[in-house]
Amino acid sequence: MLEIQNISKSFYRKVALDDVSLHIQTGEIFGLLGPNGAGKTTLIRIINRIIEPDKGHIRINGDIMTQQHLSLIGYLPEERGLYRTMTVEDHALFLGQLRGLSKKDVKIQLNYWLEKFEITDWGKKRIEELSKGMAQKVQFICTVLHEPKLLILDEPLSGFDPVNVELIKQELIEMKAKGKTIILSTHNMKSVEEICDRAALIHQSKKIMEGRISEIQEERKTGNYAVKFRGSMIAFVNALWTGFELVDKEILGDDKFIAHVKMRGDNNFEDLLKTLLGQVKIEAAWEVLPSMQDVFIDLVQPRKEAENA
Amino acid sequence: MGSRSFVMMSFFGPIIILCLIYFLFAFGGEGKQHWNVLITDPSHLLDNKIMAQEDKAISYSFADQYVEMEEFRDAKQFQQYDALFEVNEKVLSNKTAFVFYRIKPSVRMQTRLQFHIERRIEEVMIEEFTDLSVKEFRKIKQPLNVAFRDVLDPFDEASDLRGWVGFFYGAIIFVFIFLFGMTILRSVSREKSNRIVEVLLASVHPNQLLTGKIVGIGIAAFFQFIIWMVVVGAGLYFMRELIFPDMLDASNMDIVQMTDEVKNQTRLDQLYASTEYNEFVNLVYERVQFGTMTAFFLVFFIVGYLFYGSFFAAVGATSGSESDGQQFVLPIIFLLCFSLYAGYFALQNPESSLTTFFHYFPFTAPVVVMVKLAQGYGPEASYQIYVSLMVLLTSAVLNLMIAGRLYKNGILQFGHRVKFSLILRWLKKT
Repeated sequence: MLEIQNISKSFYRKVALDDVSLHIQTGEIFGLLGPNGAGKTTLIRIINRIIEPDKGHIRINGDIMTQQHLSLIGYLPEERGLYRTMTVEDHALFLGQLRGLSKKDVKIQLNYWLEKFEITDWGKKRIEELSKGMAQKVQFICTVLHEPKLLILDEPLSGFDPVNVELIKQELIEMKAKGKTIILSTHNMKSVEEICDRAALIHQSKKIMEGRISEIQEERKTGNYAVKFRGSMIAFVNALWTGFELVDKEILGDDKFIAHVKMRGDNNFEDLLKTLLGQVKIEAAWEVLPSMQDVFIDLVQPRKEAENA
Repeated sequence: MGSRSFVMMSFFGPIIILCLIYFLFAFGGEGKQHWNVLITDPSHLLDNKIMAQEDKAISYSFADQYVEMEEFRDAKQFQQYDALFEVNEKVLSNKTAFVFYRIKPSVRMQTRLQFHIERRIEEVMIEEFTDLSVKEFRKIKQPLNVAFRDVLDPFDEASDLRGWVGFFYGAIIFVFIFLFGMTILRSVSREKSNRIVEVLLASVHPNQLLTGKIVGIGIAAFFQFIIWMVVVGAGLYFMRELIFPDMLDASNMDIVQMTDEVKNQTRLDQLYASTEYNEFVNLVYERVQFGTMTAFFLVFFIVGYLFYGSFFAAVGATSGSESDGQQFVLPIIFLLCFSLYAGYFALQNPESSLTTFFHYFPFTAPVVVMVKLAQGYGPEASYQIYVSLMVLLTSAVLNLMIAGRLYKNGILQFGHRVKFSLILRWLKKT
């Protein structure tokens, strides 16, 4: 769907993007990750042709991207705004027509989304009458109104309560199922794990990681296992002895725990289970994969520390 | 265009202008409707006669004896009179008579009073010094109408009064440029501060957005101006036909009403009639070539608006916040005020070399050209207006290009302090 090829961009003496290449496939949700100031927004603006790259180019469906392709994109920027004195309908009409929709189509689409979000009475309301969360919903609707093939959402979940966060996540999953491609720029790593297929991490203007979420986690796993059991924690620790190491524990009840265990020597998962059998009552056991939060911190922190040193 | 302020301005703007015109008419030609004038003529020079057929607007009475000014002012029996006309025997030699009034008569009323007494004195003098009848005298009398003409402008086209009309046109241009320029500024800085500009820029090119904004707001300004023209035009017609029919049309000015001797009107009579005819009214309805003026007004309005509008847009795009924008608009306001002053200067000094400079200088051209246009270009100098227009147009295009560059580079910069070096950097950047 979208190929970002060797994009570089500098603002005077500051390098914002340094030879960044990404490949985003049709029908996937792609997480664009990175700390503040990494260059994500610059990249998104380049994709949207708001600013031009110094080097490199972008292809969409195999063609070099031009102004005409912008109607294929729905863009929700991080710092988004609305005309406060306009009604929701007028706003949708303005932005929808700007994206090439007819007045009639805007009305059909707006009604569809207002009904879907169960907010049919908002159409005539002025933006200034809406709460922040309500306005966020309107912004989301305005972004998807023209049924874009590619959605670029910069922190789409910020400002929403948990119920609405789930609602938006479900919408994104539904859109993906319909074949839409979504680029999701966010700091919410939990949602990346939940809904993204693949992700890339940009740090200090460079891409430092790209891949499937599961593969990224797999690559960075530390050989830790979690065991959910009933019984005594002392008995559990005694059973581990010198072949395994208890790295973490969660107390679920008086005699119910989840223990995180690291292998020592040549011991493996089967050895662990054999050791524990008869000592505690095992309810479940699984391999612990690093969270995307951990991956993010692992990748970003050492560089920052090195930089500071 | 659907905004409330636009509708309010479209409605109230022309109403305010019409009210101003009404007051100018009213004060210029009206005032007290009927005057009671007491004539004190101790030497019975006028023989208790003023005219055979009375003027509906003035009632004359003759005092039996000489009335002092103080007596007229204070005595109870004279309070019914609005003015005291003192005619003494010296009037035949020094040609001076005095009128003491309680409320100052309008210019129109002064002309009427003077006309009546003058005619009567003339009759007395004809009787006293000639063997002619009044009718014969008036037949041979050749009033000399001295017209002062500029040797370079023999058709008296460089009239001050018409120049003022041009100035008024220029002022209207700047009122509209200021009002709608501020709309551009507010719109740009608001879109910038509420960040919606990023969504818009994801659909259209910055230059398209800038041009669309200037042109869109310009069309609204133009549309509002047309509404103003239609309402003011209709209002003037309405005033002429219904409110001031006697004052606003010379043909309605019945000279016979003033005296019975003027059935065969002489040029002098017509001159009096035209003197009485309010100069402002004459100016508005007769002397200004509204067609040409309006055509050039529209052209200079559009190009002047593009020229100044791009400044407002550039200020909006470069400012870091909305309040910054308000602050940086001050220099533009100074320039606008300066251009109005240049218009005034051109009015006072039409032939000055500085006026010529202002005529071509794009910041001042719209007002100065309007003033010069109203004063009239010589037959071989009309090319100047097109040269000025070309200079203004070229400057507007250049300005739009500069504003486009500042807009493109500055519109997504937020919260910064505006520095000259930063603006230069944005200008250099393609």
